Amino acid sequence: MAGNFWQSAHYQQWLLDSQDLIQERRPDLEVLSEEEYQKIMIFFSNFIQQLGETLKLRQQVIATATTFLKRFYARNSLRCIDPLLLAPTSVFLASKVEEFGVISNSRLISTCQTVVKNKFSYAYTTEFPYRTTHILECEFYLLESMDCCLIVYQPYRPLVQYMQDLGGEGEVLQLAWRIVNDSLRTDVCLLFPPYEIALACIHMACVVHQKDCKQWFAELNTDLDRIMEITRYILNLYELWKTYDERKEIQSLLQKMPKPQTQPGPR
Amino acid sequence: MQKYEKLEKIGEGTYGTVFKAKNRETQEIVALKRVRLDDDDEGVPSSALREICLLKELKHKNIVRLHDVLHSDKKLTLVFEHCDQDLKKYFDSLNGEIDPDIVKSFLFQLLRGLEFCHSRNVLHRDLKPQNLLINKNGELKLADFGLARAFGIPVRCYSAEVVTLWYRPPDVLFGAKLYNTSIDMWSAGCIFAELANAGRPLFPGSDVEDQVKRIFKLLGTPTEETWPGMTSLPDYKSFPLYQPTMTLSQVCPKLSSKGRDLLQRLLICSPAVRMSAEDAMSHSYFSDLSPSIRNV
Repeated sequence: MAGNFWQSAHYQQWLLDSQDLIQERRPDLEVLSEEEYQKIMIFFSNFIQQLGETLKLRQQVIATATTFLKRFYARNSLRCIDPLLLAPTSVFLASKVEEFGVISNSRLISTCQTVVKNKFSYAYTTEFPYRTTHILECEFYLLESMDCCLIVYQPYRPLVQYMQDLGGEGEVLQLAWRIVNDSLRTDVCLLFPPYEIALACIHMACVVHQKDCKQWFAELNTDLDRIMEITRYILNLYELWKTYDERKEIQSLLQKMPKPQTQPGPR
Repeated sequence: MQKYEKLEKIGEGTYGTVFKAKNRETQEIVALKRVRLDDDDEGVPSSALREICLLKELKHKNIVRLHDVLHSDKKLTLVFEHCDQDLKKYFDSLNGEIDPDIVKSFLFQLLRGLEFCHSRNVLHRDLKPQNLLINKNGELKLADFGLARAFGIPVRCYSAEVVTLWYRPPDVLFGAKLYNTSIDMWSAGCIFAELANAGRPLFPGSDVEDQVKRIFKLLGTPTEETWPGMTSLPDYKSFPLYQPTMTLSQVCPKLSSKGRDLLQRLLICSPAVRMSAEDAMSHSYFSDLSPSIRNV
C-alpha cells in the first residue's frame, strides 16, 4: 500500500533508536555476543527467504515477513518464542497483509519440513517440530507484539522511482535491488526510513559500477551522513560474510541461543 | 477483556459479532467486534487484518476509530469507538422527511472522510448506508473496511447474504478490474440521492443486468463517445439506447439546483470524468455549509 509514510504507523511507532535497540536486546546479549546475535538473525532471515522462494512469494512479502520477525525480536527476547516457529508465522501473516492470499497451513507446515530437511540440514538434525496450532497461537503474539502495525513500507518502490530519476541503467538497479535484499539481514529496516535505505543502496551500486552520481546526490535534499550510516551497516554485513561459514557455525550457535522453557509437545 | 462490560449485541459484522460495551475504568461506551476464528486454516481472517491494517493508518474524525485490539484465550476482539446508529437505521426513523441542512452536512462529512482515504491511496470499495455510522452529535463516520479487497469485489460474502449492488458503479458492474477512487465517488452519489429522498434508494437493482438497466434508464445509455473504453470492459453487454425520460429534479424533487448539479457530476458513467472527493467538497452546493461542520 502506498499511503503517506510520514503519517504511517511505521514512521510513528516503528523507527527505533539504535541505543534503545541494544538496550532491548540486553537479556539476549548476556548469553550471546552482538556478532553471534546477528548471525542468528541472518540465519532466520535466510530461512524466511528460502521458505518464501519455495512458496513462490513475491520479494515484497518476503521482506515484510523478515521485518515482522525483526520487529518481534526488537521487543522480545529469543527466549520468548523459538524463531524457528516465529519465521513461518511471519510468512503466514505477511502473505495475508500483503494481499498475496492465504497460504494454507498444511502447505506451510509441509514446506517448512521440506526446507528444513533439504536446505538447512546443516542446522537441524531433527525434523521441523511445529504444527498448525502453534502457528495460529504464535500469530496472536506476533500481532500483539507489533501493536497490530502491519503495513510495512519497503525500500523497493522508492528505489525504482529514484532510479528512474537518476536515469540508471539496468545493472545499477539490479545491484541496488540485491543490496536492499541484503540489507534485510541488518538492523537498518528497524532504524531508518525506507527511502534512505533505498538511497544508500543506490549509492553503493553506483560506486561498484563506477557511475558518477555525485551531482545527483548533492542536489538531493537529504542528510548524507545518515545515508553513510546505513552504508556502514551494510558494509559490516559484507565484512562479516567474508569470513563467516554458516554451515560450520550455526549448529553450535543455535544450541547456545536462549530458548523457551518448554519445548513443544505433541498436540 | 475484564476492562469492558458487555451491554448488548448490536449486530453481526462481516467476520463476527458486534457488542456494545462499557469501559469499566473510563465509563466510555465502545463497540466490540469479536473476530471469529472458526476456519482453522486461515488464522486471523484476512478481512479482519485488512481492517486492522487500514484503521491503524487512518485516523480522522470522519472515519471510525479503532481504539484497541485485544487478545485473550484464542479470541481476537477489536475495540471501536461506538456510534449510536448507522445511516440505514437513521433513514428508517425518518418517516420520509429530512432536513436539507442534514443532507448537506452528512454528504460533506462523507466526502471529507473519503478525501482522507483517497489521499492515502485507500479505497473503501463497499460504501452503503449500513457502513456509515452516525452519532448523537450529528457526526458521520465511515466504517467497515473489512469486506473490501484489493482485487475485485466479492459478489457474495461468507454468509449467504448477497452483497448489495445498489451502490456499485457501471464500470465495476461491467467487470472493470482496474478501478480507482472513482468507485467510491459513484457510491457517494447514490447515497447523496438517497439522503435527499430521506432513505429511498436511487438504484435498487435485483441483479447485475437490472442494476445497469436502472442506471442507464435514468442517465441515458452511454456510448463509446461519452464513455471511451466501455465496450472493451470484460463483462460488457449492449443495452438499448435509453434516452433519459426523467430529470434529476423529478428524481430528487427536494434537492436544490446546486445540489442537483453536484449529484450529476458524481453520477457520471465514465469513471475518468466522475468528480473527485476533493473537488466535490469545494462545489458551490456547500458554499452555505455551517462553519461548525466545515471546521470541526
